[in-house]
Amino acid sequence: MKNDLLWVEKYRPKKISEVLGNELAKTTFINWLNNKRRRKKAVLLYGPAGVGKTALVNAASNQFNFTIIEMNASDTRTEKAINKVGKPATSFVALDKFSTETKGNILFLDEVDGVFGQQDRGGIGAIIKIVKESLIPVVMAANNPDIKKLRPLKKVCQMIRFQQVRIPLIITMLRRICVMENVEAEFEALERIAQNSRGDMRSAINDLQSISEGRPVLRVQDTMFLSYRNKDIGMYETIMGVFSAESVGDAAMILNRSNVNYDDFLLSISDNLPLRYPDSADLAHAYDLVSRADVFRGRVGTENWHLLRYFFNLLAEAATVSPRSFKPFEVISPPIRIMKLFWTKSKRTKLENICAKIALKCHVSRTTAKTDIVPFVKIILEKQKSSPIISWLKLEPNDVDYLIKINKF
Amino acid sequence: MVVLNKKAFILPRVEKEKFIRLMRLGLEYNRDKGSYSISHFDNIEKLIDTISSILNDEVLFLQNCLMCSKDFPCSDCKYADFCATKNLPFQCVCPQCLKEGKTHQQKIF
Repeated sequence: MKNDLLWVEKYRPKKISEVLGNELAKTTFINWLNNKRRRKKAVLLYGPAGVGKTALVNAASNQFNFTIIEMNASDTRTEKAINKVGKPATSFVALDKFSTETKGNILFLDEVDGVFGQQDRGGIGAIIKIVKESLIPVVMAANNPDIKKLRPLKKVCQMIRFQQVRIPLIITMLRRICVMENVEAEFEALERIAQNSRGDMRSAINDLQSISEGRPVLRVQDTMFLSYRNKDIGMYETIMGVFSAESVGDAAMILNRSNVNYDDFLLSISDNLPLRYPDSADLAHAYDLVSRADVFRGRVGTENWHLLRYFFNLLAEAATVSPRSFKPFEVISPPIRIMKLFWTKSKRTKLENICAKIALKCHVSRTTAKTDIVPFVKIILEKQKSSPIISWLKLEPNDVDYLIKINKF
Repeated sequence: MVVLNKKAFILPRVEKEKFIRLMRLGLEYNRDKGSYSISHFDNIEKLIDTISSILNDEVLFLQNCLMCSKDFPCSDCKYADFCATKNLPFQCVCPQCLKEGKTHQQKIF
């Protein structure tokens, strides 16, 4: 039975010293955990996946005899569900705290950056409330703490940053596992697995297990089919990758590995095509393919995900119309349309407010006010700036100035 | 290029504002010895930039080997180009210890 275990579970650190790398994050966390007069009641461990955040919490609780009450991404984390688990755990002191064997409870919320959407409605608000009222340490872990939803949470937490685990440390760990599992591994093979993992210890151990399955000797040739881990491929890297790809297959592979937003990516490809193809015939062909990709994006919608491969293939084809003509260029990022929406947000909000005033007075919808009434109000105001219509529509002086100056609705 | 040891290093006298900035970015000052050490690494990149601007030179931190506790620079490591934390003062394994696989297991586990 023990042999069926995943190695990441089998060799999960039991002591803090077994968690490799991030020694300062470890020290900060342990100091916080053992300090009875904590300045902040909660701590947010953040950093890339597989660097030891959850492992550290488990190892520390094991070493200092804390009992973990955990909620992770597999649980529904609505306000109700969090309160159901978190409130009793944090509001009452457990009886076993008085025993010498345990120090009490820790509430551990793993992957808090995944608390979002309809399923987890009200989750973040509930967590903040629990943190403020908690009598026990609250530990949270997240990959990306910069998302907008976590901003209020960051204010009530001590932030502890985790970095990627270094390659020599990963090799050391892999080597130890090989000794324990009686696998004779070439140093170069372990080196390649470690480099592939890009600082993710968990994925390195998983790769080692999958490759060495049924092999007493692990050679570097056995690691050749390992593909690079998909880590943090941003918009810039994805665009440069697909444009510099030598074949449609290469470009499609990069697209499959990337985790950029599909709509933003479509816009970015479209904006950057003129920089990529100086030849007008190539450019026209590429735009034709992008327009067809756009059609498939529309068909994918939110449910027909099986059509996504056509979208990717067409974009890959658009990026590799003439692979040999590639010359490095400065990528436009983010897409111009998104930038324009950002720049014109205040103007659009102002127009929406004016339309709302007109709609209220004329008993029409805001859209009707925008398309059918605003153009005429503009003409009236251009001819007579002090028209009685201003007071009737309850327009402000800056609304009047805006309407006179506006060119497009 | 200035090579510093994260446990204790000395900087020239700085203005009050710069000193406060250094403290906020994660340095600790030992009054008795007049030396600085790194207390937290959350803003390590900004901290290194600030120290570089004070010293008017590129700053490198020595790495400490987990196995033999020896200090060594990143330039000795062949993985430096793949390392996301190159030149930052974190735990590592020196090239010699990495070659001698046998001793490592005894040291950590």
